[in-house]
Amino acid sequence: MHAEKTSHDFEPKIIAFVCTWCTYAGADLAGTSRMQYPSNVRVLKFPCTGRIDPVFILRAFQKGADGVLVSGCHPGDCHYMAGNFHARRRFAAFRALLGFVGVDLQRLQFSWVSAAEGGKWVEVVTELTERVRAMGPMTEFKSLETEEQWSGALTTPELREAFDSID
Amino acid sequence: MPLSITETNLRNLIDLLVQASKLVVGPKLSEAIVLYQPLTSGAELTLDSIPRRSAKELYFPVCEDILNFKKENGKVQVEDIDRSRFPETVLIGAPPCDAGSPAILDAVFSWDYHDDFYQERRKKSTIIGIACTKGDDACFCTAVGLAPDAQAGSDLFLTPLAGGSYACVAVTEKGTTLIEAHSSLFSEGPVGEVIPFLDQSTGKLDLPKIKAWLEGHFEDPLWEGIADICIGCGACAFICPACHCFDINDEGSPDSGARRKHWDACGFSKFTNHASGHNPRDIQNKRYRNRIMHKFKYYDDKFGKTLCTGCGRCIRVCPVGIDIAEILTTINSKSD
Amino acid sequence: MKTKAEKIRAASIDPAYYQAVTEAIRTQAVKLLTEETVVAVVGYFLGRRQGTAIPALVTTPEQAEKLIFSPACVNNLTLFLTKAKKGVLKKGRVAIIAKGCDMRALAGLMGESQVKREEIFTIGIACAGVFGSGADRTGNLSEANIARKCRECSVHLPEGADLLVGTLPELSELTPLEAEEMARIEALPQAERWAFWKEHFTRCIRCMACRQVCPFCYCEQCLCDKNRPQAVESSPRPAGNMAWHIVRAMHLAGRCGGCAECERVCPMDIPLNLLNRRMAQELKELYDYEASTTPQGKGPLARYQEDDDESFIK
Repeated sequence: MHAEKTSHDFEPKIIAFVCTWCTYAGADLAGTSRMQYPSNVRVLKFPCTGRIDPVFILRAFQKGADGVLVSGCHPGDCHYMAGNFHARRRFAAFRALLGFVGVDLQRLQFSWVSAAEGGKWVEVVTELTERVRAMGPMTEFKSLETEEQWSGALTTPELREAFDSID
Repeated sequence: MPLSITETNLRNLIDLLVQASKLVVGPKLSEAIVLYQPLTSGAELTLDSIPRRSAKELYFPVCEDILNFKKENGKVQVEDIDRSRFPETVLIGAPPCDAGSPAILDAVFSWDYHDDFYQERRKKSTIIGIACTKGDDACFCTAVGLAPDAQAGSDLFLTPLAGGSYACVAVTEKGTTLIEAHSSLFSEGPVGEVIPFLDQSTGKLDLPKIKAWLEGHFEDPLWEGIADICIGCGACAFICPACHCFDINDEGSPDSGARRKHWDACGFSKFTNHASGHNPRDIQNKRYRNRIMHKFKYYDDKFGKTLCTGCGRCIRVCPVGIDIAEILTTINSKSD
Repeated sequence: MKTKAEKIRAASIDPAYYQAVTEAIRTQAVKLLTEETVVAVVGYFLGRRQGTAIPALVTTPEQAEKLIFSPACVNNLTLFLTKAKKGVLKKGRVAIIAKGCDMRALAGLMGESQVKREEIFTIGIACAGVFGSGADRTGNLSEANIARKCRECSVHLPEGADLLVGTLPELSELTPLEAEEMARIEALPQAERWAFWKEHFTRCIRCMACRQVCPFCYCEQCLCDKNRPQAVESSPRPAGNMAWHIVRAMHLAGRCGGCAECERVCPMDIPLNLLNRRMAQELKELYDYEASTTPQGKGPLARYQEDDDESFIK
């Protein structure tokens, strides 16, 4: 049974960085179980959350992600033993840094989703998607991309016209 | 007939120029430091300290797009930058060490390649220079042949007078045009007393002698002594009115982006890194030596000018206190 | 028992204190070089301009006689012991003049196996503080011209030095301006915090002085110089600048010693130390970690505990 797909004005782009062994498998389980969840999420598969460099999260936001999800194995279950332990500390620090710089942390979600937790995957993705949808597009980094140093900026045609019309 | 302008009228001039849609750039306070920035009103002009960066960004921006590209229907469209969109600019409040830099840089930007980006911006700018009464012990403009009241490079030159007004001299036609367009702001009549200039602590340098020494001392222990502490940042090159090295990078995504030209510095370790991996200037000694050589020998060889205006910014900003005026004085005093 | 004269809060630091430290350093340095205990001493010389000092790498007793210590001795000399300055100092034991803040960097580098403890002879300084960048250096050190970081210094008498020189004069309690600024920014709404940093990073020209002066930025290939793939744009536009500073602050998290050299050398006066301080604050809160003047082994992000905080993780 397919649920009615409501149409929205804004479809957020959610980038999910997930670990192969747990969350990716969990997401796969959600799929094979035919669980419905927002298709806004774009999944990037990593061997382990320990491989996820905070710069990837930053890059996702810079390149237009409205929300970012990072998900991996529960502590103690890491396929590589300690990858997610290191990741946990790293993400805690990075989160504080992003918050300090003025990024809305409601757009960034971390989770532990195991290979058996198809349902949890659906829950986490849906919650993040709807939350980010309500927040609207992330404009901070995108508008920053358009900014230039004053010395490299060009006049707009309107300004030029106004200038030319003055004798 | 000597001309003068009051401080109030100088600020009014800025307001008028802004209203006329010119880009007016002058020293402005930005979070506790003074930088050359676009002014939105005459009140923003700050003339009580030298801006942290030089005015070279007027023609040599910190970063500018030189072309845009977009992929559409499998084809890449390349769009050149419309040079007519460079704004008409008036720079106001540049001391001789900053106003003098285009006179030095014009040569290299029209040498083996006519750099349109530089040249078009130059054509569209007018410089109102101002004599400098705010120097400190890092300044050495007189040592390199300039002076606190040198008019070279300015279109209109102001000299601060006791009492708060400025004596004005039109140095070029652009200056004359500017005065004539706003003649009501200027007054004729005898000028007052000029505010005395600072005596600079670095003595006059014999630039030909220094150049000759550099010619004969490519390998000299002097370079190691200095470069051992140089940390290889780009601070000195970036804030210098005369340094003009740049890098070109393509940025964006595979679908759209821009090719950008932005400042680079010979102090960076990878500055001369070749695609093969060979790096001719692989240690800091060689890089710092190149800096001095370029400024006081190579540029003179090519264009007959010294690539330094003695503004002293590099001395103030160097993280390890390398003092180019001291180095030059040392070389100047060498007997061989 | 302190006399009344000693109890009076010094409005400015007496130059005699600096003279005494200078004498002690010279004596020590000459001794170490003459006896060949060390092959070089990393210290400070007088600069040409009033109130300035520059790093000096001395290798002979004659040169050592010119070493000084003054409020102008702002540089973190630890930088000259790192890979970035490889090949500059001769192989062998090296003595280094280090203030408390510098010693935290040195201890950090030892923890990361960049510097071997037995190859360094630390001459720690009982430090009253140094000049702030852009401050008036014509007079003595006082509240008017002291560096912001020195106002909250807790390592005036650093522990762990091979030798500690100087007798600390009476120091006044100074308002912790940096802590106040931190608190002010943290209290701002998110959009204003973004605007604050955006304004600062727009002024950045990517001179990389912050990176080059940092003892912990010793990577032979900086991530931000790579262009295949490119993590951070190299052009000095606000977007790239924002990314650069975020990445650098993250790479320093748990390592930065708080010497604030990055902030001092920035030609555009960007308050970079605030970022590092925020990270240090977070790591103290979460993992009870603080940079120290004695080596601690691995930093907090190179270790983990099974019960680390995960309140932010679903």
